[in-house]
Amino acid sequence: MEQVIANGLYLGAQYALIALGLTLIFALMNVLNFAHGQMYVLGGFVTYAIYGQLGLPFPVALAASSITLAVVGALIEKFLFRPVVRRSEREESTMLLAAAVAFFLDAVILLAFGEKQRGVPKIVSGVFVSDGLIMPYDRMVVGIVALAMIAAFVLYMQYSKPGRAMRALAQDRVAAQLMGVKVDRYSMIGFALGALLAGAVGGLLVTITGVNSGIGGPISIKAFLMVMIGGAGVVGGAIAGGFILGMMESVGLTVLREYGDITYLVIFALLMVFLSIRPNGLMGKPWG
Amino acid sequence: MINRRTALKSLALGAASTLAIVGALSSAHAENKTLKIGFVGVTSGPAAAWGTSNVRSMQVRADWINEKGGVKIGDDTYNIELVTFDDQKDPKRAIAGMEKMAQEGIHYVVGPNVDDGAAAVRPVAESKGIIYFPYAFPKALYTPPASNAVLGMVANYQSAPAIYKYLKENKGVKKIAFVAANESDPLSQRDGGVEAAKALGLEIVAQNDTYPNDTRDFTPVMTPIVQQKPDLLVLSGVAPANAPLLIRAARELGYEGLISAETAQDATVLQEGAGELANGFISVGGASTPEIRSAEMEEFIDRYTKKYGEYNDESNTKVYALDYIVETLKANPAAIDNVEEYKKTMDTFSAPNPFVKEGTLKYVGQTSFTQKRQISVPMVVTEFKDGKFETLFVGEVD
Amino acid sequence: MTKKATLAGAFLLVLLIVVPLAIGASGREDLYYTLTSVALLSIISAGVWITFYIGRINIGQGAYALMGGYVSAVLVTAYGVSFWLTLPLAGLFCAVASILIGLPILRLRGVYFAMVTLVLTEVVRLLALALPITNGAKGIVSIPQPGGISLFGITLLPDFATLTNPRLAFYIVSVLLMALCFAGLYRLKNSRIGQLCQSLQQNEELASSIGVNITYLRVLAYAISSFLGGVGGAMFAAISQSIYPSSFTVADSVNFMLNCFLGGLSYVFGPILGTFVLYFGWDVLFQTGEFQLLIFSSILIALMLLLPNGLLSLRFSSKAKGAGR
Repeated sequence: MEQVIANGLYLGAQYALIALGLTLIFALMNVLNFAHGQMYVLGGFVTYAIYGQLGLPFPVALAASSITLAVVGALIEKFLFRPVVRRSEREESTMLLAAAVAFFLDAVILLAFGEKQRGVPKIVSGVFVSDGLIMPYDRMVVGIVALAMIAAFVLYMQYSKPGRAMRALAQDRVAAQLMGVKVDRYSMIGFALGALLAGAVGGLLVTITGVNSGIGGPISIKAFLMVMIGGAGVVGGAIAGGFILGMMESVGLTVLREYGDITYLVIFALLMVFLSIRPNGLMGKPWG
Repeated sequence: MINRRTALKSLALGAASTLAIVGALSSAHAENKTLKIGFVGVTSGPAAAWGTSNVRSMQVRADWINEKGGVKIGDDTYNIELVTFDDQKDPKRAIAGMEKMAQEGIHYVVGPNVDDGAAAVRPVAESKGIIYFPYAFPKALYTPPASNAVLGMVANYQSAPAIYKYLKENKGVKKIAFVAANESDPLSQRDGGVEAAKALGLEIVAQNDTYPNDTRDFTPVMTPIVQQKPDLLVLSGVAPANAPLLIRAARELGYEGLISAETAQDATVLQEGAGELANGFISVGGASTPEIRSAEMEEFIDRYTKKYGEYNDESNTKVYALDYIVETLKANPAAIDNVEEYKKTMDTFSAPNPFVKEGTLKYVGQTSFTQKRQISVPMVVTEFKDGKFETLFVGEVD
Repeated sequence: MTKKATLAGAFLLVLLIVVPLAIGASGREDLYYTLTSVALLSIISAGVWITFYIGRINIGQGAYALMGGYVSAVLVTAYGVSFWLTLPLAGLFCAVASILIGLPILRLRGVYFAMVTLVLTEVVRLLALALPITNGAKGIVSIPQPGGISLFGITLLPDFATLTNPRLAFYIVSVLLMALCFAGLYRLKNSRIGQLCQSLQQNEELASSIGVNITYLRVLAYAISSFLGGVGGAMFAAISQSIYPSSFTVADSVNFMLNCFLGGLSYVFGPILGTFVLYFGWDVLFQTGEFQLLIFSSILIALMLLLPNGLLSLRFSSKAKGAGR
């Protein structure tokens, strides 16, 4: 049982980190970023190229992943989302743009890095073994780094000037603008930060699970689920959603294994029931 | 705004006209006649690796043949031209792809890569006179009244009994566990594996465990299975991308038994994803190991590597389909635009296998499908060792 | 109104007569299937459009298409029911199912509804894998072609298996279904119910406070939407003569939604145009090989930058600037 809980916690930490960037972009711009998973994949491949192929130290690669994605995110916001958001009548229209960006990144990644699954050497080798628990050291390191990054993000949003500006923007766009918050600038910073988180977690996880060019879409969908469980656009919700989904998968796969193929059926059906009872997730604000 | 719009519009126009010109140029060819061979399968998205290794093997082989001056079929010499269609693993698109092939006047198509696509294109292939070579295992595709599909590899219900038997006799395997992705192909393959294990009297300790194909962390999936302590863990229908992750998760949880798969894998992927933890992993390939492959196969790998930067071991199996088509047409030139002639030839066809040191190309499948609707590929059962595959034993399908 | 009706009639005549003649003359027989697909996918997308019309983002249409496909396939193979009867039955089954599912989930809005419907797509796929009646992972294959219909000894519809070109027959049936679907949709939009639905899109609380029965309207719209999904799915099962749990997946659900966006959410005929461009665009680009997805997505992004309100907004853009609509 310890093992199952440890699995769930580790899975939850990585899920929460993936969900954070998505929920941030959603909170600021009401854009459901279909390309989030592709950004994660791109981050993974940057780390693969720098750490795995060039042999530079892992932190350098991780930084490079983050910076690359921050730049990509900022460009996408400035040149694609901003003009479309301004001119579209219904804000959902950005979903098509987000999906097109996702296809585009998929195509670029496939052409640049090929179709194969890629992996890098372990950052730490060895496995921790006790009576009830087996955990490789590299998973522990990644789990701790993920938690540290989540904490850093929360603190940044809470206490820094851009963080406060972005929170104001998320709460009420018009009011924030009236109070002198530069909406365009902070939307771009927010989008860049969301993309940076995707890139960072991609770079971090490539050491455990590797990366391949096709997983972007599925990762986005997983991330949507977590965001919905916790409540869209709320940082605490994304973190809670990540851990809840991680725990559900871990416990579900053990408890329901006798019933075979229906494990995920039950998880998804429970999700639907849960959302029917709490239409805004755990702590989301009502829609509209 | 206006400027950007006009710029974009002219860009789109420019792109369209470039396409038109490229299209016009590519139809101008040398004096040789052209033999068009099709491919309908998945070359983008999560399963891109499957179709890509098909397309690349075919492209390398076709370039090579054309470079040597083409292939002589009957009185004419042909250059081979490939027409490929990406179905995005969507059966509805696969039908459109097969229609495109018919439109291009193509009678021989490699693919689709998955069960649903292979089933969906059957009506088109049969009405338009196309022989196709799916990499999908459902027996209904190859058993009468179906007659236009030819299985392009060894099916898992053919290889599994041989592998389990070998492991039972040589490695003392008694308890066996299965894990599969919750999709059609892997689940069908798992059911086939369970049947084979039962027939051999093995004790099945896990057969219901499944995972979504896009799982990234397999530790939660593997935890309860490893606790059953099987001697052999079968990764049914595992995608090459997932194999190293599953192996790594099982080994890191302290699993010490054997691990095997009945689908083709790639050594580099295994090495990068699981490293030495993948040592001892058993899988099936075509002309895969240095002990059995011919000089021609070595050259194929060289050319492939030169053209695409990196070889893919899945191509050890996928290299065969194009050669089977070309060699069969050579044996019966009338089949070039008449698949009924092709079907007749399949019963008696035989030619030397260029890719292994000893072997013949022939059509098999009599036992499984009651007719010869499968290409004969050496069933090389391999063990992964330090980044390479080593031969355990070589089997054959009849 | 009459002008519009003549225009629609002319369009239908072009589809039913000119297109087959042109295909016959040019020999491009593969286009039959492509256009059939466009017609059927636009019917399914029309369902998504209706849910947009009541202000819901629906990424669950694939679920009903799959359900409809299975209902038809099971009825035809296991019970020997005529395909033509299973077509409305598949739609009705989906409509009933969608009422049961819709009652709880239609209370959700915005991205929450989008997400729960996306989960629904996956739930139905997993159900298809797990239920015995669907034959699980092995799918249902070798479904016979649609049989004929005769009334009092007169053949109304020939048996498809005896036709020399069943593709043409499927094409005609699909175009007729599409015409029926969009004529109905047009009527619906301009009816009282349609106007009430639009009030839901703008403000549900307000609509509710002035006495509109919003629960009834929402469920009704969702049921119609799912009916269309089921009919489209059943047609695809008949054309491919097979159905698998993976015949309609999350990717399809997303595509149906994108079709509506691309065509334009404010226009009844948006789904047709959107589907045509998205589906046909991919097919046309197939010769570009490995660059297909790159070119395709670049064009999509460019279109979005040019016409963020959908392709059909092009028509009105000059008028709309001054007067609005």
